[in-house]
Amino acid sequence: MPDGSAFYSTRQTDLIVKSKRKRFLLEFLRIILVVLIALGIGFIITLFVSDEPVAAFKALLTGPLPKISFEGGFHIKGINRFGNWMEESITLILLGLAVSIVFKAKQFSLGADGQLILGALAAGVVALYVDAPLPIHIGLALVAAMVAGFLWGLIPGILKAYIDVDEIVSTLMLNVIAIQFYQLVLVQWLRDPTAGFIGTPFFPKTAILPLVIPGTRVTIALFIMLASVFVVWFLMERTTFGYEIKVIGANRKFAEYGGVNTKRVIALSMAVSGIFAGLAGVHLSMGLLKRLTLNMSPGIGFEGIVVALLARNNPIGVLIAGLFYGYLRTGAQIMERSSDVTREVVLIIQAIIILLITAERLFPLFQEWWLRRKLSAELDSNVPEEEAAR
Amino acid sequence: MRDITKIYPNGVVANDDVNFSVERGEIRALVGENGAGKSTLMKILYGLESFTSGAIYLDGQRVDISSPHKAIDLGIGMVHQNFMLVPSFTIAQNVVLGSEPRKGSFMDADAAIRITESLAKEYGLEVEATARIDATPVGMRQRVEILKTLYRGADLLILDEPTAVLTPQETDDLFEAVRRLVNQGKTVIFITHKLVEVKEISDTVTVMRHGKVTGNVATKDVSEVDIARMMVGRDVFLQVDKAPQQRGKAKARVEHLGYISETGRPMLRDVSFNVYEGEILGIAGVEGNGQTELVEVMSGLKPATTGEIYVGDRQVARKNARQVRRAGVGHIPEDRLTNGVALEATIAENLVVDRYYRPPIAHASIMSPRVIRSQSEALMAEFDIRAAGYDAPMDSLSGGNMQKVVLAREFSADPALLIAAQPTRGVDIGASEFIHNQLLAKRDDGKAILLVSADLSEVMNLSDRIAVMYKGKITGVFQNSPDLTEEELGFYMLGIKEQTPEEMAQNM
Repeated sequence: MPDGSAFYSTRQTDLIVKSKRKRFLLEFLRIILVVLIALGIGFIITLFVSDEPVAAFKALLTGPLPKISFEGGFHIKGINRFGNWMEESITLILLGLAVSIVFKAKQFSLGADGQLILGALAAGVVALYVDAPLPIHIGLALVAAMVAGFLWGLIPGILKAYIDVDEIVSTLMLNVIAIQFYQLVLVQWLRDPTAGFIGTPFFPKTAILPLVIPGTRVTIALFIMLASVFVVWFLMERTTFGYEIKVIGANRKFAEYGGVNTKRVIALSMAVSGIFAGLAGVHLSMGLLKRLTLNMSPGIGFEGIVVALLARNNPIGVLIAGLFYGYLRTGAQIMERSSDVTREVVLIIQAIIILLITAERLFPLFQEWWLRRKLSAELDSNVPEEEAAR
Repeated sequence: MRDITKIYPNGVVANDDVNFSVERGEIRALVGENGAGKSTLMKILYGLESFTSGAIYLDGQRVDISSPHKAIDLGIGMVHQNFMLVPSFTIAQNVVLGSEPRKGSFMDADAAIRITESLAKEYGLEVEATARIDATPVGMRQRVEILKTLYRGADLLILDEPTAVLTPQETDDLFEAVRRLVNQGKTVIFITHKLVEVKEISDTVTVMRHGKVTGNVATKDVSEVDIARMMVGRDVFLQVDKAPQQRGKAKARVEHLGYISETGRPMLRDVSFNVYEGEILGIAGVEGNGQTELVEVMSGLKPATTGEIYVGDRQVARKNARQVRRAGVGHIPEDRLTNGVALEATIAENLVVDRYYRPPIAHASIMSPRVIRSQSEALMAEFDIRAAGYDAPMDSLSGGNMQKVVLAREFSADPALLIAAQPTRGVDIGASEFIHNQLLAKRDDGKAILLVSADLSEVMNLSDRIAVMYKGKITGVFQNSPDLTEEELGFYMLGIKEQTPEEMAQNM
């Protein structure tokens, strides 16, 4: 192209947020800012509803952390609370990963709940009816859950991609089908008639995920989760499938023009998403409960949406956001147990966070203000020189 | 407007200490290449954008224009490049939208029509007040936009590239209306980059380049070449030099192609032609006569209903876009900024969309970030794409640089058949010159090029042969020669004349 005169002056290049690292930092700052504002509002609400707001808020903010105690020798207290935090976060991160894949393609999915429950069911059936030594048994159950999640995601994917069925409607309906089917199988065939409630017998030892942190229920699901974060990152950043998902999300017409088979990729993105929801089902059944119960996961599937939104669909971000969100949820349970504040207050804080995060313009406004301030300071310092020159 | 500086949050300086003024009752042209900052400056004046520093004065008074509402109160109106009308409303409803005449708490529909008609009459902007917007031609929609601003009491009208979407006849009508507005005491700022129009309509010209004003002159004192020099910063050749043609064998053969749209309308009817190696075949025609569909079918975006297309010996008429590209077809799309790029993706991601799945970029579905980076940086250097880096988001680029991303990708794929649809639409002089030279270089290199353009002078300047389309049919095929006139082609474009199959076969 003609005309090589500099497009950016030095002053401009200074101000350009050009490196990815800096953008990442700003993104992180944004989340912190949002959370602080939300917590501030939450505290004000707590002031109104609680007789001892400070203690209640302390429970929320520090509850999930283990406490080191030296009374009667060195030991760690509250490891189970820390465990709760990790258990919660593993579920949330796996679900967040699942949702983020679909979101990246600018599709919507509310189907994680159904995929999770069928993943748990598939894992449970393998756990109860297949006889195999320890690593193989778990492996088979994992594969069964992943396949179940994949297939249950593929259905709305195909419906959306090829016959244009709205995925919000189809995934919600499929959730209902999955949950009812799960309950049917449980009540009709799998239930343990000797138990006092509706649930399967405990899984055999070979089908229970090995414990990682004693005194908690944190199992190797932790490593499954970390591996999943890596796999999703690799999928999105290094494979053609991830590229196709990103390009479709950025501009579907452009993807078609470039020769991407957009229908196939959209259908597959929803199916691949189901794999990770299925793994969350494994964590719940083979890790936490060690059996299948009637009400295993009331609505947790939707929390994955919050995590993916917080993380802007970045897999590493999902890890951080999941840990954070899990912390908040665990803290909420502890606050509820140990103070006069009800859990609803925390739900309000969560809602405020989601509102602030989805307010896309909030951060750019902050950025613009910062830029303007910096520039005017610079202009002010330049003025005397120019006048002196005249 | 004094010392206006505008810096976007991403650091791009759109206006750098700009001084701009317009006298009452004049037509001032504001020209500059894409990304020169003209639209930004006008958006500031209209309150759509805030400015970082500077001040605006109106009739000697310093004014604060922080929103379009304030601009409208001060008598400033703007007609945008992309119309902002409600398609399902009538023209009268659109004109009064936002400050409707009322009868009780209901809108007074009769009054709206009356107001629209009397305004239209007063300023000679002929419209059908009761027609729905989606049923009216583009030229009329534009008049509606102007009426809207007049209804809100505008004295100063900003027209942002108003002729970009108009046919020559509609442009003439617009110019007449603009002159009438000025005669009635209005002031007009006319943003454009078509120099012919600057000479024809304006009293004075302000030229911008890279966010700065490079010239303020009376139109009668300068020539088109002078203005072009101020815009681009160097001498520009408005004519192209064409080497003698070395025509090879037929690279693409289109046989009896037919396409029926999703709504059941026949858009292409028995279209047949060849494109030869070393040839530019121009497709001329008034827009909407099937050219868009022809390009979409040929590039694999839509399946042909009947007929065949061969590229080399491969049959591609009902193949998907990837298979068509693999057969050696490149495609510069008409709607580049909506279909040719993904604004939310990075520059690199935009550059590799046709080749990401095969070596050297991908092996067994795993992509190499290193190869993507080196290829992207090489293309950015070769095509002078100015950006913060290969992984900068596409929407941080100026319009002109986005165009270059499309060109870099399609030219570097080295296609045997290149389909260029409206390649210089929305492109500035410097870039059009570049595109024309690239197309000619490909032709001289023995590639086949199909040039589809609504700009007749572009088709006549570049093409070796010209085919004219009318209502989905080819109505004439001509060897390009100095004897061939625009008027003659015009008869075929309007369907007044049509060649017999024998006449057409002579030039096939």
